[in-house]
Amino acid sequence: MSSRKKVLLKVIILGDSGVGKTSLMNQFVNKKFSNQYKATIGADFLTKEVIVDDRIVTMQIWDTAGQERFQSLGVAFYRGADCCVLVFDVTAPNTFKSLESWRDEFLIQASPRAPENFPFVILGNKVDLDNRAVSAKRAQQWCQSKNDIPYFETSAKEAVNVELAFQTIARNALAQETEAELYNEFPDQIKLNANDNNRNRDGDNCAC
Amino acid sequence: MSCSSSEDVPDQCKDLFTQDGVLLKACIGRPIIDLNSIGMLCIVQNVDGGKCIEWRPNDLITIDSDSQDQEWAVVHTIGRRQRTLSGNMTSDYAAARARIIRIQIDELKTFRMTRNNQQMQFSTKPGVWQNTFYFQHGNAEIFLASLKNYVKTVKTRHDRNTYVVVEPTNEAQALNRSFAELDIFTENTTDVVWNLVSNFKQRPYETTLEAFSKLTDIVYYGNEGLNGKRDVSDEVADLLSKSMSALEDNTSVTKSDDYEVISVKPTLPPRPCIPRGAPLSTEKWEGLLDPDGRILEVDGVRQLIFRGGVAHSIRHSVWKYLLDYHPWSYTHAKIKSLQKKRTEEYFTMKLQWKSMTEKQESRFSEYRERKSLVEKDVNRTDRTHPFFAGDDNPNLVTLEDILMTYVMYNFDLGYVQGMSDILAPLLLLLGNEVDTFWCFVGFMEKIASNFDMDQAGMKQQLLNLQLLLSFASPDLAKHLASKDSGNMYFCFRWLLVWFKREFSHRDIMRLWEVLWTGLPCANFHLIISVAILDAEKDVLISGDYGFTEILKHVNDLSMCLDVDKILSTAEGIYHQIISAPHLTDQIRIILGIPTVGGRPEPEPSSSEETNGKTDEQSDMEEVMYQIGLDMNF
Ligand SMILES: Nc1nc2c(ncn2[C@@H]2O[C@H](COP(=O)(O)OP(=O)(O)O)[C@@H](O)[C@H]2O)c(=O)[nH]1
Ligand SMILES: [Mg+2]
Repeated sequence: MSSRKKVLLKVIILGDSGVGKTSLMNQFVNKKFSNQYKATIGADFLTKEVIVDDRIVTMQIWDTAGQERFQSLGVAFYRGADCCVLVFDVTAPNTFKSLESWRDEFLIQASPRAPENFPFVILGNKVDLDNRAVSAKRAQQWCQSKNDIPYFETSAKEAVNVELAFQTIARNALAQETEAELYNEFPDQIKLNANDNNRNRDGDNCAC
Repeated sequence: MSCSSSEDVPDQCKDLFTQDGVLLKACIGRPIIDLNSIGMLCIVQNVDGGKCIEWRPNDLITIDSDSQDQEWAVVHTIGRRQRTLSGNMTSDYAAARARIIRIQIDELKTFRMTRNNQQMQFSTKPGVWQNTFYFQHGNAEIFLASLKNYVKTVKTRHDRNTYVVVEPTNEAQALNRSFAELDIFTENTTDVVWNLVSNFKQRPYETTLEAFSKLTDIVYYGNEGLNGKRDVSDEVADLLSKSMSALEDNTSVTKSDDYEVISVKPTLPPRPCIPRGAPLSTEKWEGLLDPDGRILEVDGVRQLIFRGGVAHSIRHSVWKYLLDYHPWSYTHAKIKSLQKKRTEEYFTMKLQWKSMTEKQESRFSEYRERKSLVEKDVNRTDRTHPFFAGDDNPNLVTLEDILMTYVMYNFDLGYVQGMSDILAPLLLLLGNEVDTFWCFVGFMEKIASNFDMDQAGMKQQLLNLQLLLSFASPDLAKHLASKDSGNMYFCFRWLLVWFKREFSHRDIMRLWEVLWTGLPCANFHLIISVAILDAEKDVLISGDYGFTEILKHVNDLSMCLDVDKILSTAEGIYHQIISAPHLTDQIRIILGIPTVGGRPEPEPSSSEETNGKTDEQSDMEEVMYQIGLDMNF
C-alpha cells in the first residue's frame, strides 16, 4: 500500500442529544470550547489533518443530531465510516444505557464488512462536572464486554483526554481503512482466499 | 391594495386603489408650483363606470369625509381613513380640486416604471410621457399590480419596464384576480394572440417580430393560467405555429441579438424579475383597522405582507394575526376578552408542570426526559444574541417555561429539537410570555408535521423539494442525483426550522412573516429552497461537488444569504413553474393549485411529453426507493 496516497478517514460521532458530541468535535478540531454552540440540526462534519505513525491523514468527523426521531436521517451519513465514536455523559446514566442501541443501530445501518472487528471508541464526557453518575469502572466493564472497545474519560470543556482519544480514533480508523484499501486494491487475491459467499458478492466488481 | 367593494354602489364614483406618498414629478401643462408636491395616486371608478388614474395633492385629501360634495362623499372607506391621516384642512377647496390630475384609463396608451421601480410615467399619446409620479415609499409595483387589474398590457421587449395597453380589462374578471396571481410574463395572452393574428398581415414585419418573440413563449410554453384552462384556442395556436415556422426560416437571416432563439422543447418560461415591495407600514396597518379594530381586507393585508413584509414597529401586532392568535375579524373588545381567556389558560397549563413535585417527577421518566431535553436546548439557543446571552439570563427561563408549558399543551408531540429555534425569535420580538406562547402554538400548527415521530412530514417535504427542483432546475437535480444527494438531506435543517439557522434574527423575521401569509401558493418554503439551490447551481455543477462537498457548501451558506433577493427569485421561480406548459398535476398538488387531472388531458398530444412524464415518474420512484432504503420506510 502506498504512503503517497492521500488517506481520508471517516469518523462518525454518535450518542444522545446533549452529551457533548459537537463540543468534543470542536475541541479536537478547533481547540475551543464554547457554551454558545447550537444544538445540531441535520448533519455536519469538520476535517482535520493528523499524523499517525508518520503518515499524514485527514480525519473527516461527522456530527449528527441526537434526538431519537432524527436518527433515521443520520444513518444516511454512516456509510463508508472507518471508525465510530460513541459518547455518553458521565452525569446522565440514561445516555450510558443508550450506548448499546447506538452501537447496534450503527452496525445495522453502516453494515461494515467485518462488524465484529469494526473499530469503536467510547467517550465518557463531562468529567469536569462533580455530579458524576456513571463510574469509570462501570463504563470500563461494559467496554471490555464489547470486544474490548477503547474507553476514554473526557471533558470537552476543559480539553481533558480529547487529543489522546482522537489519536486513538485516528489510528484505529486508519487500520480499518488500510484493511479496506487492501481489499479494494487486490480484490483478486482476496477473492482467491475468500469463501464462496464473498466471491459471489463481489463477483461483479472484478470484471477487470 | 385594491379594495374590492362589499358595499357596491355602482352609480357613484369610488376609489379602487389608493397609494399615498406619491410626488408629482412632471405633468405637461401644469404650473411648476404643483411639481414635487405630495399626494395620493388612486385608481378611481367614475360615476359612468369608466376608470381613471387620479392624483390628489395632499392638502385636498384632508377634506372632511362628511363633506356634502357628491363626488367625495362616496369615496371608499380606505380612502376616507387615509385622508384623515395626512395634512391639514385647506380653505380653498375649489382651487385644490382643480389641481387633481386625471388620466382616463380608456385613453391610457402606455406606461412604464423607472428609477428602480420608484417612478411611474404615463402616456396617452405616443411619444410623450405626460405624467411622472415618484413613489416616496418605493412601492410603485403595488400600484402597478393593481393597475394591471384594469388594463390589459404587454411588455415591450427592449424595455421590460414599459407596458403597452392593449385594452382595458373587463372588471368582473379583474376583480377575481389578486395581483400575486397576475401572469407576469404572458399577460393577457388571448388578446395579444388575436390582435396579432388579425393584424399580422397589415403590420410591418419588424414590429411584429418583436411581439412574436414574445408569442413564442405563449405558444410553446402555453398559457395555462392559474385557473388551469388554456385560453389559446387550438386554431390560433395552429395558425401561429405555421406563421412561426415561416418566421423561423427568416430568423436565421434577420435575427439580431435582441431576439431569443426559439426553442421547441418544453422548457420553463423565462424567469420574471419581481421586485420586492415596501414593508406594511404603521399608517397603512392603522388605516386597515375599522373603527372597532377589525381587519376586513385580510387578503389585501396578506398580499402586502407577502410583497414586502411588515415594518418592525408593528410586527408585534401583525404577527398575532398571521400566527392565528388573533382572528382578523375580532373587534378590539373581543380580542381583549380572548387575551384574558388565553392568559388564564396559559397559566393553568404552566401550573400543571410547575406544581409537579420532585417525587412525582422521579416516577415520570417521560416527563423527566423532556424536561432535560428542553433545558439542554434552551442553553444552546441563540446564546450569541444579546437577548439570550450571558449566565442566568431571565429570557432563557422564559424560553424554558414556554417550551415546558407547550409540552403540557401538546403532550403527544412534546418537545422536539428545533422548537427552541422556532420560539426564540418570537420571544425576542413579542417579549410577553403569554403572547409568545400562543403565537408559538400558531407557528407550530403550521409546521407540526416537521416534528412527526416517524419523520414522515420531513420525508415528504424532502421528496417534494426534489420534485420541484427537478422541474425548476433539472440540471441541478440531475447533478445531485448523480452524487447520491437526490434525497436532499442536506436541506434538512432549512426545512425543519424554516431557515432559522441560515439567517440573522432580522432576516428570519422578514422571511417568516412572508411565509406565514401562505402566498403565493402552498409550500412556498420549498420554492425558497429551490431558489437558494438554483443560485448555487453553477458552483455545485461546475465544481463537480460530491456528496460531502454539497452538504458542506449548503451548510456554509448559513448567514451568507440575502433574504430579499431569495424571496424575489423564489417568486420568479414560482411564476416560471405555474406557467410552464408541461406543468404536471404532481407539482400542482405540491403547490396546492387545482389539478387538471379531472379533465383528461389530450393523451396523444405529444409523445415527448408522455416520455417526459415516464422519466419523471421513474425518477421519483428512484428517489422514493432511495429514501425508503435510507430511512427504513
Ligand atoms: N461541563 C461540561 N459541559 C459540556 C461538556 N461538553 C459539552 N458540554 C455542554 O453540554 C451541552 C451539550 O453539548 P453539545 O456539544 O451541544 O452536545 P451534543 O448534542 O452531543 O452535540 C452544551 O451546553 C455544552 O456546553 C463538557 O465536557 N463539560
Ligand atoms: Mg450536537
